Amino acid sequence: MAKPENPVAGRAAIVGLGHTAQGELPGSSAEQNALDAGLLALQNAGLTVGDLDGLIACKSVQGQANDVAVGALLGVNLPYVQSLDYGTCNFSLHLAVMAIVSGMANTILLTYGANARSGKFDFGKPMYGADMASAAGLVHIAGRAGLALQRHKAIYGTTDEQFGMLAVGQRLWAQNNPNAIFRKPMTMADYLAEPYMVDPLRRSDVTMISDGGAAVVVTAAERARDLPNRPVYVSGMAEYAGVRGDNNPENLMRPWLKQSASAIWTTTGLNAGDIDVLYIQDPTAVWSLQMLEYYGFCGIGEGGPFLAEGHTLPGGVLPLNTHGGQLSESYTWGWMHVVEAVRQLRGQAGDRQLDAPRIGMYCSSHGFVKAAASILSTEQSVGS
Amino acid sequence: MTGLSPTGDAMTAPFFEAAGQGRLVVQQCSSCGALRWPPLAGCPDCRGRDSAWVDIAPAGTIWSFVVYHRAFAAELKPDIPYTVVMVELDDGPYMIGRLLEGEKPPAVGARVAAEFVATDGVPSVRWRIV
Repeated sequence: MAKPENPVAGRAAIVGLGHTAQGELPGSSAEQNALDAGLLALQNAGLTVGDLDGLIACKSVQGQANDVAVGALLGVNLPYVQSLDYGTCNFSLHLAVMAIVSGMANTILLTYGANARSGKFDFGKPMYGADMASAAGLVHIAGRAGLALQRHKAIYGTTDEQFGMLAVGQRLWAQNNPNAIFRKPMTMADYLAEPYMVDPLRRSDVTMISDGGAAVVVTAAERARDLPNRPVYVSGMAEYAGVRGDNNPENLMRPWLKQSASAIWTTTGLNAGDIDVLYIQDPTAVWSLQMLEYYGFCGIGEGGPFLAEGHTLPGGVLPLNTHGGQLSESYTWGWMHVVEAVRQLRGQAGDRQLDAPRIGMYCSSHGFVKAAASILSTEQSVGS
Repeated sequence: MTGLSPTGDAMTAPFFEAAGQGRLVVQQCSSCGALRWPPLAGCPDCRGRDSAWVDIAPAGTIWSFVVYHRAFAAELKPDIPYTVVMVELDDGPYMIGRLLEGEKPPAVGARVAAEFVATDGVPSVRWRIV
């Protein structure tokens, strides 16, 4: 069967990246963090605010840093301005590519900022109001993620040692990332000695909320060629949403992630073996386990043994979250995964730089319901 | 647990009312007959709007569980450690609930039965391994 047309491959590229320090930024609002990151991304791209014709902001979980709030600080009126109220940067990236391919905009700043840590945002409070699950005490993302992992352990025999390779691996990667919040070495013995926070999850399996901003600049391929950085092209993108939510019997295991995977592999003509470096948004390590399986990096239910073999660690064949991910680098709603992917593909990742990766992939999801994936490459023809 | 429980919510009131009478109820679509949980304004299977609350068997199997060793809300502090189960009900729907402490440790696949208790005067459903 002929490969279907991929209308996005090589049409737009990430040309700038920027971020604030990650951790605690008391006194700096979410909007300021988004702006600071955005200005750094423009500078990195060799552009100025005057070069923009688009802004895509990402409203934080706390309701801050939407397009109107960030736009007011950016100080310009623009033809294309949007705000998404879900994170991970993947959705914003897709929107940017669609705006560019449709001709609505040419050069767009995508930015996110939050101050959830210094703002002491209460993640124990039911995010969408009290419901029957919170009434039972199922609060915080660790609850639902824990249910999914416990089920995975029961039906596939996944062990704590296998699953712990994610947290331990992310810490290993973070050792070479000066930007990471958690760099203290953590052995498997250290990991296993940690008490359960929400059994079967330990503290190290779950991200710690941090303050910070992250941003990228996306522009049309024709323009990207004239800018100082090596363009990182968007080679493919796909989404799928399990919006039936709690009324999906298998909501927590998310077998529908396969639909996003199948769409991106089919439209790009690529497969898991083509990916040189992988990023998976990991508010909990359970996300990585699920997406490794559903995107086909290992078989369904085989995530445990696959991780135990060390493929995703430094030196492995499938480097995963080379910055330390949300478990060891910072929360930032998955945005830093894109920043790091671009750094690696440009060859600017310092001590953790891989050997000339050509194709990177980023898989993410908003909560348990919305999934997105992007393939990025240094070569414009990839995916077409 | 006022901040965590949807009391005073018209959508869930029939569930608590039935629990006070020792009955387990869920919504049933008046058009296609599908049972659904949690409560929803319409049927996600046939898009029918009307539904009725019907009694179902107060029994099921633990699909999965988690044990909270940390209280993420002040009102949960006295309960730590506590176990939350997702129960695959014998009649079909999945229901999240609290497991009552018993002799047997929680396990995926364990059979559970509903018990009807009052928490701070509010009727609710708890699960016990049988």
